[in-house]
Amino acid sequence: MRSKYLIFLSLFVIASMALGACQPAAPAEPEPKAIRLNFGPGDVPTIDPALATDTSSTQINVLTMVGLTRQDEVTTETKPGMATAWTISDDGLTYTFKLRDDVTWVKYDGTQVVQVTDCEGNPRKVTAHDFKYGILRTLAPATASDYAYVLAFALKGAADYNAGTTEDPETVGVKAVDDYTLELTFNEPAAYNAQIAGMWVAYAQPSWLIDGDDCTEARGDRWTETGFFQGYGPYTLKEWVHDSYITVIKNPFWPGTEDIPQAKIDEVTFTMLDEVPAFAEYEAGNMDTTAVPQADIDRVKADTKLSAQLKIAPVQCTYYYGFNTKAPVVEDQRVRLALSKAIDRQGLIDNVLKGDQEPAQWFSRPGLAGAPTIDKFPDLGVKYDPSGAKALLDEYLKEKNLTADQLDLTLMFNTSSGHQKIAEAIQQMWKDNLGVNVQLVNQEWKVYLKTIKGKDTPQIWRLGWCQDYPDANNFIREVFSLGGSGNPDEEPKDGTPDGGINMLDEAFEAKVREAAAELDPNKRVQLYAEAEDMLVVKNAAIAPIYWYTRVTVTKPYVQRTFSVLGGQEAIYKWDIVK
Amino acid sequence: MGQYIVRRLIYLFVVLFVVSVITFALMHAVPGGPFDREKKLPKEIMENLNKRYHLDDPLVVQYGRYMYDVLIPHFSVQAPTSSLQDDFLFKVKLGPVWLKWMNFGPSYASRSRTVNDIFRDQLPISMQLGAMALFVAILIGLPLGILAALKQNTIFDYLGMSVAIFGVSVPVIVLGPLMIFIFGVSLKLLPPTGWGAKPPYLLGFFPSKLDWSFWKYAIMPSIALGLGSSAIIARLTRASLLQVIREDYIRTARAKGLQERLVITRHALKNSLIPVVTILGPMFAALITGTFVTELTFGIPGMGKYFVTSITNRDYPVIMGTILLYVVFLVIANLIVDIVYAYLDPRIRYD
Repeated sequence: MRSKYLIFLSLFVIASMALGACQPAAPAEPEPKAIRLNFGPGDVPTIDPALATDTSSTQINVLTMVGLTRQDEVTTETKPGMATAWTISDDGLTYTFKLRDDVTWVKYDGTQVVQVTDCEGNPRKVTAHDFKYGILRTLAPATASDYAYVLAFALKGAADYNAGTTEDPETVGVKAVDDYTLELTFNEPAAYNAQIAGMWVAYAQPSWLIDGDDCTEARGDRWTETGFFQGYGPYTLKEWVHDSYITVIKNPFWPGTEDIPQAKIDEVTFTMLDEVPAFAEYEAGNMDTTAVPQADIDRVKADTKLSAQLKIAPVQCTYYYGFNTKAPVVEDQRVRLALSKAIDRQGLIDNVLKGDQEPAQWFSRPGLAGAPTIDKFPDLGVKYDPSGAKALLDEYLKEKNLTADQLDLTLMFNTSSGHQKIAEAIQQMWKDNLGVNVQLVNQEWKVYLKTIKGKDTPQIWRLGWCQDYPDANNFIREVFSLGGSGNPDEEPKDGTPDGGINMLDEAFEAKVREAAAELDPNKRVQLYAEAEDMLVVKNAAIAPIYWYTRVTVTKPYVQRTFSVLGGQEAIYKWDIVK
Repeated sequence: MGQYIVRRLIYLFVVLFVVSVITFALMHAVPGGPFDREKKLPKEIMENLNKRYHLDDPLVVQYGRYMYDVLIPHFSVQAPTSSLQDDFLFKVKLGPVWLKWMNFGPSYASRSRTVNDIFRDQLPISMQLGAMALFVAILIGLPLGILAALKQNTIFDYLGMSVAIFGVSVPVIVLGPLMIFIFGVSLKLLPPTGWGAKPPYLLGFFPSKLDWSFWKYAIMPSIALGLGSSAIIARLTRASLLQVIREDYIRTARAKGLQERLVITRHALKNSLIPVVTILGPMFAALITGTFVTELTFGIPGMGKYFVTSITNRDYPVIMGTILLYVVFLVIANLIVDIVYAYLDPRIRYD
């Protein structure tokens, strides 16, 4: 029958094409050192430093450009970057940065990395004017940058310029004293000013490429595309195939500093695969490092070869349940603290999460500048204490003349199978340890965000927080101080919270501000420890659950570092030794 | 027939208009906006963002502006720049004047891309995968169904229908990783993920080279995706053919002494294919515009995920673009199906 012949014919055609396309191996030539990593599904949203918000965007930023200062990716210390040194004025507000004068802008011209030249043919050096342009462009209202808020908060005059109240960029506290000296004026004297100066939002940007000049066509929003991008860091953009991969190539003109050496690996390719196919590629030998999917963790730990390649490293994020301190039942601090103490965090990690996460006793993750550590403060915050929890709850129940199962409690989280599993486990713990029945409700992410930051904030809600910059201020103050993300103040005039934890504690507000301004590191940690105690014990406004880790496997021939700064790996320090 | 086609194309515009209004209203009615983040953005930043994307205008004005950019061709002396606001799908130079048409707007999630970029870069990949999956589906499904119908209640029938049940029951999310594990990781015969073509494409759609370096990426996803559809085609073909070969005119043809082969191919098959062709239309539209799970499992940079992520991101231009695109493909596919009906069954006539 004709259709049978069709099948055979088609199979024959396919088979012959497959065999016919086998070619003899190409002659061997010295191969550039290349490494493949994975970002995760979805395109990198942008690699423009003024617009970057995602960790994949900032990863490319820290490879292709360098900030005034740099965060050490292991110790989180502030180190010199493009600025070799800086002086601080007596009032702590004005920072004067001295820049390197041996760094040029580069681009990939299709075959190799070349220096960018100006209209007279001289290589363009990275100057203080480029940094000033970059900072002002980030703040410009027309750019509509998300993270401009960091500069608007810290830099003098930046908030008004960003809001459009004034159109004169000279009112912003950034001044190029000369080609290699930059002066920044801040709003408050604070330890994190130097860190903010090194964030990607304050990177140098190429004005001639974005706005154009006599010999360069203006590329506007497209300046970061393949073939146009110009950078100056240890790597530069080679190719960006949207939704597929992005490749950066070694910049031979980067002079190499103590903290940012010249790269040893020539090409770094980031693919954009989901976790599961990325792990399959790793096992097939086509990926050099990747995260281990939740479902494979047990298998990897049991396998001798894979478990040797496994590394579980801390990530600067905290997972927590917040309480609406004005809602029924949880308005009483004893109930909140009881619920917090009744969570067996280690049990949750061992049985549900399996990623060797750390039970969180407080909010600001250890490892951040200023944050307390378990070594120095082993008993700070909350720990699993079922009998203590029961005692607290019984006290409350006796006073109100109720039984535990009469309490009406709801826990809400954003839709995700991971959060569902954790919520169910904790629901069971509360039932076993306290006898309370908690209802679980989930909502889609954006709808959920609206719900937990308004008048209808549920009694218990789940959220996580990851660092923007590695300082405790970014955690406890920016999230839970009034107006912060976990304690929003929708109507700033009346000064009362409207959603989130709904907490107004004057002592807490004063404490976090005092800690922000304190420059002595030891005193600072002590102040933050006191603030954490206020947050998770005295007020018990949140139940911190765990501190994130990441579970990765890396091929044995890759010599690498593990960054604690979300997604900012210092790949210029890595090497391949086969 | 020509008049009929023109009428149908006019209906296409009506359908597009209605769908665009409903989609626009729905996406703005859903709570949450494109710039809602965990950390609440300060009011000034939100205002800057809203102003940049004209989200602070009344909805009717926003809709009007969107339709103006998409429907109305622009004429200007200025050559199209590389700016995001100036990105059109069709750019033709007519003498001193540029004709620019169809700007679907920027993407909110991806700050350096427009919806047109997504169409240009990702749609051809989905079309390539979809076309191959459809080919696999027809190649497997049609003969299987015919064989099962002609040899009803024999081993061929039972085997064929078992394969069909398997194809329909085992979803790509199970079959995909299984195939990747067997052929990609263990045997290392085929690459586990990726796609063999990247922009620019020939004629906007075809991969620039069609050799093993392209096919090796296409084999597993096409089969995984095509198997499910082939099962549907097989079952439908079998059921429909079974019904047709019981008809009187088939008996007459056999009684007249016509070869069995011709009885089936010239008479029975044409009529039995009508239900099959009916589902092929929407199936074609669905496969061509991209399938989320297959593309995610095999790491193929197609359009599929934009249908889902645009909604979770509240990326309004991408939502409108993907939905309107789907409508266009669906309506055209149904039009082709209707024209094929007229060929298959001469009794069907359009005035």
